[in-house]
Amino acid sequence: MKKKKSGAVWMILPLYIFTIIFVAGPLLYMVALSFAQPKAGHGVEWIFTLENYKKILDPVYMQTFTGSFKLALTSTLFICLIGYPFGYFMAKLSDKWKKRAMIFLMLPFWVNSLIRLYGWMIILQTKGLLNHALKSLGLIDKPLRILYSYPAIVIGMTYVLLPFMILSVYSSAEKLDWSLVEAARDLGAKPFKAFWTVSFKLTLPGLLSGVILTFVPSMGLFFIADILGGNKIVLVGSLIQEQMTRGSNWPFAAALAVVLMILTTLMIMLYRKITNAKELEGVG
Amino acid sequence: MKKLVVCALCAALVVPTLAVSVSADDSKELVLYTWENMFPQEVLDGFEEETGIKVVYSNFDTDENMLEKLSMAKGGDYDVIVADDYIIQTAIEEGLVEKLDTSKLTGWKNINPLYQGQFYDPNDEYTAPYGAGIPLIVYDPELVDIDIKGYNDLWDASLEDSIALTANYRVLNGITNLALGQDFNDQNTDDIAKTGEKLLELAPNVRLIQDDNTQDALLNGEASVAFLYTSQVTTALQENPDLKVVYPEEGLGFGVMGMFIPSQAPDKDEAYQFMDYILQPENAAKCFDYIGYYCTNKAADSLLENQDLVVPDSVTEGSAVENISAEADEAYNKNWTEFKAACN
Amino acid sequence: MKKNSKLSGFYLGLIFVLMYLPIAVVIVFSFNESKLPVRFTGFSLKWYQQLFSDSAMIEALGNSLFLGVVSCLVSAVIGTLGAVGLSRIHWKTKGALEYISILPLMIPEIILGMVMMAFFYMLNLPFGMLTLLIGHTVFCVPYILMEVKARLAGMDPSLEEAARDLGAGPFRAFWDIILPLIMPAVMSGSLLAFAMSMDDVVISIFINGPRLSTLPIKVYTQIKTGVTPEVNALCTIMLAVTILILLIYTAIGKITGRNQKNN
Repeated sequence: MKKKKSGAVWMILPLYIFTIIFVAGPLLYMVALSFAQPKAGHGVEWIFTLENYKKILDPVYMQTFTGSFKLALTSTLFICLIGYPFGYFMAKLSDKWKKRAMIFLMLPFWVNSLIRLYGWMIILQTKGLLNHALKSLGLIDKPLRILYSYPAIVIGMTYVLLPFMILSVYSSAEKLDWSLVEAARDLGAKPFKAFWTVSFKLTLPGLLSGVILTFVPSMGLFFIADILGGNKIVLVGSLIQEQMTRGSNWPFAAALAVVLMILTTLMIMLYRKITNAKELEGVG
Repeated sequence: MKKLVVCALCAALVVPTLAVSVSADDSKELVLYTWENMFPQEVLDGFEEETGIKVVYSNFDTDENMLEKLSMAKGGDYDVIVADDYIIQTAIEEGLVEKLDTSKLTGWKNINPLYQGQFYDPNDEYTAPYGAGIPLIVYDPELVDIDIKGYNDLWDASLEDSIALTANYRVLNGITNLALGQDFNDQNTDDIAKTGEKLLELAPNVRLIQDDNTQDALLNGEASVAFLYTSQVTTALQENPDLKVVYPEEGLGFGVMGMFIPSQAPDKDEAYQFMDYILQPENAAKCFDYIGYYCTNKAADSLLENQDLVVPDSVTEGSAVENISAEADEAYNKNWTEFKAACN
Repeated sequence: MKKNSKLSGFYLGLIFVLMYLPIAVVIVFSFNESKLPVRFTGFSLKWYQQLFSDSAMIEALGNSLFLGVVSCLVSAVIGTLGAVGLSRIHWKTKGALEYISILPLMIPEIILGMVMMAFFYMLNLPFGMLTLLIGHTVFCVPYILMEVKARLAGMDPSLEEAARDLGAGPFRAFWDIILPLIMPAVMSGSLLAFAMSMDDVVISIFINGPRLSTLPIKVYTQIKTGVTPEVNALCTIMLAVTILILLIYTAIGKITGRNQKNN
């Protein structure tokens, strides 16, 4: 027993050291920054203040948070609906096709995401491919104005973050013992019931990590709202971006980031409570 | 799976070695720090050929990022920097910029005096201008029924959901100020509140707000009117010469990019050589044709292929984004966030 | 079962088509004459020509690949060992540690980049590949950690105990039993991490040194004058080369496989 533990300590040591120095260090700096004052023009004055947090309570900025949450939730929902079956089906493929599917899934990453989003811009624009196709199919008379609208942002978010969901679900579905599902079927369970009671429960950890990997970054992804949404919706990510650059108000940006961090943590904890995924204790 | 990993590993090991073999080891180097694509390769190669100095091209995305890096490096690390006017002002105030010895710059006399004596460097001690911009209104006369003359026309009800705007909050607040007859850099918070209200009224007309490639929206028909930076105006006109360009009657916004040497630049002599090379008319002309900003080099005007880059004689003054009080800045910021949220 | 697999195959295919649609557009526009991604004005190879004369771009690609692979490997080791270790120990600080290590995912990149830059200056680290590697590892570890944890969750701990009972040392037990079981998760986490590293610009731009550039930095900093299709050309070449290598690899595999059979 004792020996086993010492092995685990050695395993965890790199993570501990790295996290404490290179993750906790910068983050502490960020928290400290959120209580400082911006210097006129450029830089920071290290005088304690709560002003930055007070400012967030302003309805203009509060609205940014609710807007971001709404968008993140919507996108995550779509990502789950599309990505979960994908990852699940992928895990059921033969070994040969599994490998191929994995390669197909990763190849798009060779193309810079900014450039891929420009690809979507060309597809979605009023005189673009989509409208062209719909028109020649006789489905619409007037071109749809999808680009620079809310749906366009959701499409972009779903597109960029989908692989994260797929891979998470896949890696936990891949270890599923299909004979269990078969057994449930043999015992007379309907396909859906067999799926729900056996497969879904067992792939839940994968879904959960997928949700975290998609929901969390979608709060900060500002360039999708910029390229496909025409910047007409203000997200926390874009607000922080602006405060960091043109606004030159880092303490406020840091305070926004701290609040975002806390809210995201709360969301994850809440989600975990609902899904009751005890195995993943600790992350929140 | 394994294949993919092997591929990546091979590529990671092979490509850098290729890259290294491409870049020969030269003792004389110069670190140029600016946005990507600000100098044509031809000019950089020409400089290397003439002087034997290799240009290491380093990039930043925003002025603020540059300032931060430079102040962390205490004015060192970089040899020549090209950035926007307002940030240079701050850099000068922080003592990060070298006072120029203009006797080392034979091309100094070529600079167009219109761009000298600006607010950020009133005595021309620190910078040489490298390109200027005047944000303008451009529209497609086939799609727009009204005759646009100035900023106020942007508020016209017929332009619903059809304007593309650039995304600089100070410039947009500034032109709204001009539309209201206020000063571009108005610092009075009551005035700024009025500006905010006026901006909100513009919201229904806005199709998109974007800082990069804004002209695309005008060219692909997403928007029929656009408020664009100079390089974007140039690109838009090259693609569609039928577009109409408006110099707004209420007054012009104005911005200059400046070239400077950081106070602790490691290779100052090389930096002077580079600056002087760029100030030579034939090189300058190539540069401005390439970047599509107004030519700031008087001697290069006649050498430009694109004569639209010579600033029209009618333009004698414009308002630049100047550094303002924190309070006013805060108010402008809030206006902007409210405006963007209202556009949706 | 047959009908089911056909249906799922159709679904996978459909999503793949949607995934590759924008990429097809990117490839088509790499041959576009015009600089703008607005409409196709005519076939041209000029962006490819321009790319090949642009040694800085190729160098940046090399840096990106190196950075992606190394930071991904380092994070795979830290993340995998960490996840396995976490499932075994019961320290009080465990939850906190795990939480902190995935925090980089929750903070918008721009502020993370900025605080890392300030922090690295405080530590007096030389800016360049080292800082980039550390920075990328910071946001790569969470992906691997989370993927491996999800895979470990619900895994039968008796397996390892059985191995240990049979006399395998802790290292053997990990290497022979645990690692093969969690390998798919290590792989998918590493691939995500690699992809994130290859794509990151916001953090890199803060922590890179004056003489070092990565591919995304080169692309993103073109915003002042507009992104050129040179990038499309580069991405197309990267895709083509990867596919080519894969094909050759499979072909070699087939040949050697056949030879083995013949012997």
